[in-house]
Amino acid sequence: MTENNTDNPILIKVSDLRKSFGEVNVLNGIDTTFRKGDVVAIIGPSGCGKSTFLRSLNLLEVPTSGTVEFEGVNITDKSVDINKMREKIGMVFQQFNLFPNMTVKENIMLAPVKLGKLSKEEASAKADELLARVGLPDKADEYPNMLSGGQKQRIAIARSLAMQPDIMLFDEPTSALDPEMVGEVLSLMKQLAEDGMTMIIVTHEMGFAREVSNRVMFICDGVIAEENDPQTFFNEPKNPRLKDFLSKVL
Amino acid sequence: MKKQTKRICFLILCCVSLAFALCACDQGKESSGDETLPLKVNNVDELTGSKIGVQLGTTGDIYVSDYEGDDAGTIIERYNKGNDAVQALKQDKIDAVVIDEEPAKAFVSANPELVILDEEFADEFYAICVSKDNPELTASINSALATLTENGTLDRIKKNYTGTDTEKGQLPYEKKDVERPNGKLVVATNAQFPPYEYYQDGKIVGLDIDMMQAVCDELGMELAIEDMEFDSIINAVQSGKADVGAAGMTVTEDRLKNIDFTDSYTNAKQVILVKDPNTLVQKLSLTEKLEQNFVTEGRWKYIAKGLGNTLIITIFAALIGIVLGFFVAIVRSWHDKNGDLNILNFICKLYLTVIRGTPAMVQLLIIYYVIFASVNVNKIVAAVIAFGINSGAYVAEIVRSGIMSIDNGQFEAGRSLGLNFTQTMKSIILPQAFKNVLPALANEFIVLIKETSISGYIGLADLTKGGDIIRSITYEPLFPLLAVAIVYLVIVMFLSAGVSKLERRLASSDRK
Repeated sequence: MTENNTDNPILIKVSDLRKSFGEVNVLNGIDTTFRKGDVVAIIGPSGCGKSTFLRSLNLLEVPTSGTVEFEGVNITDKSVDINKMREKIGMVFQQFNLFPNMTVKENIMLAPVKLGKLSKEEASAKADELLARVGLPDKADEYPNMLSGGQKQRIAIARSLAMQPDIMLFDEPTSALDPEMVGEVLSLMKQLAEDGMTMIIVTHEMGFAREVSNRVMFICDGVIAEENDPQTFFNEPKNPRLKDFLSKVL
Repeated sequence: MKKQTKRICFLILCCVSLAFALCACDQGKESSGDETLPLKVNNVDELTGSKIGVQLGTTGDIYVSDYEGDDAGTIIERYNKGNDAVQALKQDKIDAVVIDEEPAKAFVSANPELVILDEEFADEFYAICVSKDNPELTASINSALATLTENGTLDRIKKNYTGTDTEKGQLPYEKKDVERPNGKLVVATNAQFPPYEYYQDGKIVGLDIDMMQAVCDELGMELAIEDMEFDSIINAVQSGKADVGAAGMTVTEDRLKNIDFTDSYTNAKQVILVKDPNTLVQKLSLTEKLEQNFVTEGRWKYIAKGLGNTLIITIFAALIGIVLGFFVAIVRSWHDKNGDLNILNFICKLYLTVIRGTPAMVQLLIIYYVIFASVNVNKIVAAVIAFGINSGAYVAEIVRSGIMSIDNGQFEAGRSLGLNFTQTMKSIILPQAFKNVLPALANEFIVLIKETSISGYIGLADLTKGGDIIRSITYEPLFPLLAVAIVYLVIVMFLSAGVSKLERRLASSDRK
């Protein structure tokens, strides 16, 4: 899984991205690119800006300065219709954020139908297909409250996939799960990666990062402190903060 | 639903037994001793130091106000209706009522325990009031009155209502069959003032009404009667809600500053009405009372009609309230989330502050008498708008609290899928928020139903007013009030039942 994607087209280009909440500077100038087919794991200590960085990529956090280009369009420009851009950028949250007042199938069908991507019938067929893909074909008519955490997250992934995004952002997708449910979500994500989905994953699952990603990024104090292919990253870390971090988590 | 019906039946049963019990109490109060009890007030001088009841804004009110604050501790109780003052007198809540002579006679004939003192309180003249902006109308009414005096019509009308026993009711005025090319004459009155104006068989009748009909016949105009509180009449005429006011209204210095009067059409006296504690009152039995209050002359129709109006006002006001409330809540949430829409948000906040900071009744009066002053707007429409705007402010804050109760992750999930703010609100946030605030919303509408009972202040015949009209005819407070209370109670219980049903249906996604 560590093949090089350097010839693939650039999906996201981040330049000098900065974000502060009042006096607190969370992101202190991030420059990087994500290419089609990339599976990038972002790791780092808590409160160092990983999630803020990820959420800046679809403008759930509006950056204080710097730019985010998605497929060649500067989405930080106010004249850009961000909603159109977000249709192509899927996002999966730590807390799943399924809509509790809708059935599983309605959760999946909502956005494609509302946004005119698919007709009701097409969306229904698509939902069935996705439910089969995430291994929950029998849960279509249940409400989210009846599902386990792992099941909820798999549905959330299916909901995101229903929009047929070009890239998917995962914000600590397994952190809110009971340990025995982590596996089912990670294996689904692995399968997605194998199918060629471009993914950026904020995670604490080092094993998963090492096995599935083609690039690992260490964010610390609002900057990318180290970035490498997983082999080099985990076996020969250079940054002292990273060494310290890895010694604690591995 | 069956259970609900049972519960309502049970409640009504409880109320009726309560009525029986209250009646029994009433019966037990009869005076027993043989010695003659003195009257509480025997002459004008004895008014000093007593509790005097008057109708708010009448000349009686103006005269007795001189007693107020004297060293003898005279207390003036001002009632919205002469009838309320009389009921208070009957229940010994006050010692005397100062009121116009003819209504006093009518009250005495209906309530044998009341007596009019021989000594008069004051002499005065009644006239029709007209806006100062309309001297032409004053002049034409004056000439019509002159004609009616000359040909004896006015005299016959007066005899028909205030003449000797043989004359009374013998000379009814017949509406003339004439051309009416000169439009409508809207007459404001307060139909709680027999024999000048009062309700009979569901219609407003009386000396003033017949006289105005005769005036209209002379002027070639169509007569329209607007019933309202006495102290609203001058405002209504000033603001153009009504063309003239005819309500046994005395010409006074203060009134002349605000309004013009026609020539006087009759003279009258202010008299003192007291209760004679020695009169043994013939008590009606319960069935007789029920019959008197609801069956005679089809009086239940006042309540039925009032109920219709109350329901219309509540339903449409609730609809306006919901639309307005959701709009304001969404604007304010938008502002909180996105930081723009500053001006709209400011307007919404101003609206909430003003509406929630002032009484609904004041708002209703302002909308009817000030905002719609020059527009001839239907009272029900004015009430619907007033209560809708009022309710909207409360709904807005309820809905906003519902929106805030939804986890921000729901909002982010919607936005991350590409839905815009409005789509996210409509499809994801509001359905969940609505479910959370349903009990609070139901509460708001329960309050709204009962709040519409102040519609009577703009003379709208709602449910409460319906009971009031019956009360003014029968001088019996218990049954009309009880009936009105039961009807409100039943509406609220049906509403609550409907809401619980809706809550259960919306709760389907909560099952685990």
